[in-house]
Amino acid sequence: MASNNKKKILGMDQDQFNMFMGKYGIGIILIGMVIIIAIMKPMFIKPGNLLNIFTQISINGLIAYGMCLAITTGGIDLTVGAQLALVSCILGQLVGVKGMSLIPACIIAVVVAGLFGFLNGVLISKFDMFPFVVTLSMQLIVRSIAQIISNGQAVSMADPAFKAIYSSKFGPIPRPIVYLAIVVIIMYIVMHWTRFGRYVYAVGGNVNAAIASGVSVFWTKTLCYTISGVLAGLAGIIFTAKTGSAQSNIGVGYETDAVAACVLGGTSFAGGISTAPGVLLGAIIIGCIYNGMNFLQVNSYYQSLAKGVVIIGAVLLDMVMNKKNR
Amino acid sequence: MKLKNLVALSMTGLMVAGMALPVAAEEAKAGDVNGDGKVVVGYISKNLVDPFHVPINDAAEEQLQAMVDDGIIDEFTGILDGNTDGAKQCDLAQDCLNMGADYVIILPAEAVASDPAVTALVDAGTKVVVVNSKTDSTDDLALTYCGSDDVYAGELMADYVMEKVPDGGVYVHCQGVIGNSAQIQRGEGILNKLDAEKWELAADVPCDWAADKAVNAAQDYMAQYGDDLKAIICDNDDMSSAAQQTCNEAGREDIVCIGVDGNQGPLAMVKAGTLGATVLQDGVGQVTAGIDAIKADIAGETVEKEYVVPFVLVTSENVDEYLQ
Repeated sequence: MASNNKKKILGMDQDQFNMFMGKYGIGIILIGMVIIIAIMKPMFIKPGNLLNIFTQISINGLIAYGMCLAITTGGIDLTVGAQLALVSCILGQLVGVKGMSLIPACIIAVVVAGLFGFLNGVLISKFDMFPFVVTLSMQLIVRSIAQIISNGQAVSMADPAFKAIYSSKFGPIPRPIVYLAIVVIIMYIVMHWTRFGRYVYAVGGNVNAAIASGVSVFWTKTLCYTISGVLAGLAGIIFTAKTGSAQSNIGVGYETDAVAACVLGGTSFAGGISTAPGVLLGAIIIGCIYNGMNFLQVNSYYQSLAKGVVIIGAVLLDMVMNKKNR
Repeated sequence: MKLKNLVALSMTGLMVAGMALPVAAEEAKAGDVNGDGKVVVGYISKNLVDPFHVPINDAAEEQLQAMVDDGIIDEFTGILDGNTDGAKQCDLAQDCLNMGADYVIILPAEAVASDPAVTALVDAGTKVVVVNSKTDSTDDLALTYCGSDDVYAGELMADYVMEKVPDGGVYVHCQGVIGNSAQIQRGEGILNKLDAEKWELAADVPCDWAADKAVNAAQDYMAQYGDDLKAIICDNDDMSSAAQQTCNEAGREDIVCIGVDGNQGPLAMVKAGTLGATVLQDGVGQVTAGIDAIKADIAGETVEKEYVVPFVLVTSENVDEYLQ
């Protein structure tokens, strides 16, 4: 055991340092990135802009936590972008067209999103289908349903009470940041402190060992995809409140940023490895890349290139550091 | 000693006044709407990939850079990528505010979904120039709108189709992204002019401005309606040129495909005679009008609420004027 090694790094012994770097190495990359951008453009770290970045990542952050659960079980959830559109269209029809009050409409929308997540989970765990195939097909189905119920038309959701979900503040803090904070705390507890959380890591890490220990793979996976659906549903409400428009063409490609946030946050596609703070850090990095490159006036044609390079670079660095440590 | 003190005092006073002076001069700087001492112009594009938007963005970048070089403005934000996403444009509006923008030019992705970007900017005291298509509150809030009358574009297309196929028949309408004001108004213009007794609508096909989807639509409806299909009217000419190519390859040169924009690809087809006509929208003219409006506002001149840049029907007769 490495505990015999008495070498101290930053006041931690080798073991603790390894764990610290494994979990939070990506945070150091984030801090480095922020410092570099801030030196070049001091406006970047004005409190107003930092709040702005956190507000902007709230939608991706919510989706990313669902994605993280799916990836941790060894799968992926590509349905989430379409879920945004479905939730948006359900709200549009219930509130915008039928005049239903907000809270029941939001609950219905989230429940529907959760049901599609549940369906994903059942197909994947019960019938042992590939998560990629199931959720990709479900993406098509869900987006199509969104188009069907909205008839392709955008519905204006200009009710100030509804738009306040995104735009109003608790004190100085914009509401989306509060939602994100709540989700981060809940997900931290769920992933790291509950039996369900341990099951998720067990199923993702070694499914046979998990079965042998009496873990219900069916319920663990199904619940993961259901949670992913619910989180996408909540994100859909925030998204719709943000634009004040319920339409079926939103959220295209949003799963990409969610996957990127997970991967940056140390979630392993092999399954069984992820951390709740890591996902948040990943989402923040994505937000900083988007916002920071605009501040640095990086030519937009190069922005996607830069994003790809930063993601690969960060993950590579993370892996190299971890390998050295492990 | 007293004299010395007096001299020191007066020098200090002068220094303070001297330091204050440039600050006062900067505060009064023309065009500094938010009073931070710098004039910054933001530019939120619709996207960076549509052939129609690329030359607009390029022209805007060139003209804004020239304004920086001439000292009319201090900075511009660069061309921000709206990614044809209203939510993304709302984020970019916040970015512009944090970058200290005094004026923001926006080419909305959506009539409704991009509107919070306009309202957020105006609420924060920024002057907004809306270019190309309107958002819901553009008429009330924007400094000016520079665009073209899309209803007229739809009418031009309908007129052309009726002229080419006087007997009428079945037609397909390939739509842009649903909800976009250009899509809504061009569709309205088509219906205004097209003779409903002679023309039967096979389908409004949502093609999201995308050529590949228009190709699919062309194939599907040729198969379904055969010789009865006479025209494919598209909300842009990426779609109409692709649809026409599909028809031509299927030996159906008789199907009249027309769209709006005047992109270089379709113009080259008009020149080559493989596409009958296209309706040119002067996007560069629109954004130039927007930038001119900002210049006028900085110079303290009055700015009209709306500048209309006309559409032109381009056929083999006048294509040389527009083909680069």
